[in-house]
Amino acid sequence: MSNIVQLDLWHFTLIYLLLLVVVSVLRFTRINQTKSLLWASARMTLQLTLSGLILTYIFQNPHPAFVAVYLAGMITFAVFRVFSINKQLNRRFRVIVAASIAFSGLAVMVYFVALVVGESLGNPQYVIPISGMLMGNTMTGVSLGVKTLYQTLDDQADRIETLQNMGVKPDRLFMPFVRRSMETAILPTINTMVGIGIVSLPGMMTGQILSGTLPTTAILYQIAIMIAICTTVCLSTFGSLYFGYRTLYNKRNQIELNAQP
Amino acid sequence: MPAIITATNLRFLDKLRFPDIRVEQGSATFICGESGTGKTTLLKMFNATATPAEGRILFGGQDIAEMDTIALRRQVLLAGQKVYLFDDTIRGNFEQFYAYRGETCIGTDEMAGYLRLCCIEFPLSTRCQPLSGGEKQRVFLAVHLSMKPKVLMLDEPTAALDKKTAKRMLSQMKEHCADNGITLVVVSHDPALVGAFADAVIPLTEEACE
Repeated sequence: MSNIVQLDLWHFTLIYLLLLVVVSVLRFTRINQTKSLLWASARMTLQLTLSGLILTYIFQNPHPAFVAVYLAGMITFAVFRVFSINKQLNRRFRVIVAASIAFSGLAVMVYFVALVVGESLGNPQYVIPISGMLMGNTMTGVSLGVKTLYQTLDDQADRIETLQNMGVKPDRLFMPFVRRSMETAILPTINTMVGIGIVSLPGMMTGQILSGTLPTTAILYQIAIMIAICTTVCLSTFGSLYFGYRTLYNKRNQIELNAQP
Repeated sequence: MPAIITATNLRFLDKLRFPDIRVEQGSATFICGESGTGKTTLLKMFNATATPAEGRILFGGQDIAEMDTIALRRQVLLAGQKVYLFDDTIRGNFEQFYAYRGETCIGTDEMAGYLRLCCIEFPLSTRCQPLSGGEKQRVFLAVHLSMKPKVLMLDEPTAALDKKTAKRMLSQMKEHCADNGITLVVVSHDPALVGAFADAVIPLTEEACE
């Protein structure tokens, strides 16, 4: 297998010309999103350049401390992203969400790198990209799960009030909503597994094939990462929702959905 | 008649102050007053879904602040203003509500009996979603009535009903409650209903609020 063609910077900039195509379509259809498209592209370029430089440095000077710091940064970002999408979370719910994301992401990553791949946990080349894929998907899953939970609770305010007045225990009352939200959160991951390999070659596999890995090896990694992602998303949404909903009522079984200002 | 609920020095948040209250066992007590005087809040404090900032509420002589709230809510049952029914048949609704409470559902004859009491003699296989607001409200009340609480609190139970049906339903409900030792506490805006059915009236006034 040949190694990947190195992109030289001048040729690389050609890809940005494609954005002009997007801009003209936006203009033509009068969709007023040109600014956000340019802002998003600029941000992406900057963020990826930075992480490229940092990763290059870390790979050249591998030290477990760097790996730990990078992981901590990743988890923090993922957690705060979930908070910013779900502003009404109360303090205890936030702690539970943060703990669920950190625990499930780290646990599955350790299992993957140390047991399945058999690499050292101090090896940034494995730990960082795998954690990144797990964290990214977890962030989306938990956000979706928590958002769905709150939305359902809002939509079902009359049902909640009626059942509460009837003397139904809060766990009984909340469980159907928790179940429905978990389903919503993990379904996209399960659906991806169904379509994978037919319509699209997933990112990780594409990357490995481009850089010269045998497709058969790339497939093993892809299968492993998909199962790892599914597990992480499932564990983190389960933790967030199953323990989180208990923060929505007090000892007197009074329901308080929103954080007190 | 002994009191089943008494309340003294009640205050909710900083906004609402309540007169001292005494609800006699087996009576039909109406709570009256304009909007914003705390009628619904009072019912919510009686079943401990809201907590007073000050004051004490006794149910059967026991301070409700020390009672298990789930058990309290089953004995002091509130049929709230907002009607909720599952997207199911009338029978399905009875079954689901009882299942949520972890109780065995009542039988078919008993269900039909409670529906008759609430002036809604529809077959149990009727789906609830297409029912009118007033019909839903009556099914909703029938489910609550069937749960045999010690105190049944109704918040605007006739809001969606015409006058004639409202009178007939309340009169049947009152008779049933009196026969079965159930105390009724009703919030109502309608002076005609208060005049016809109230054994006692708790007036909540603007003066009562700060």
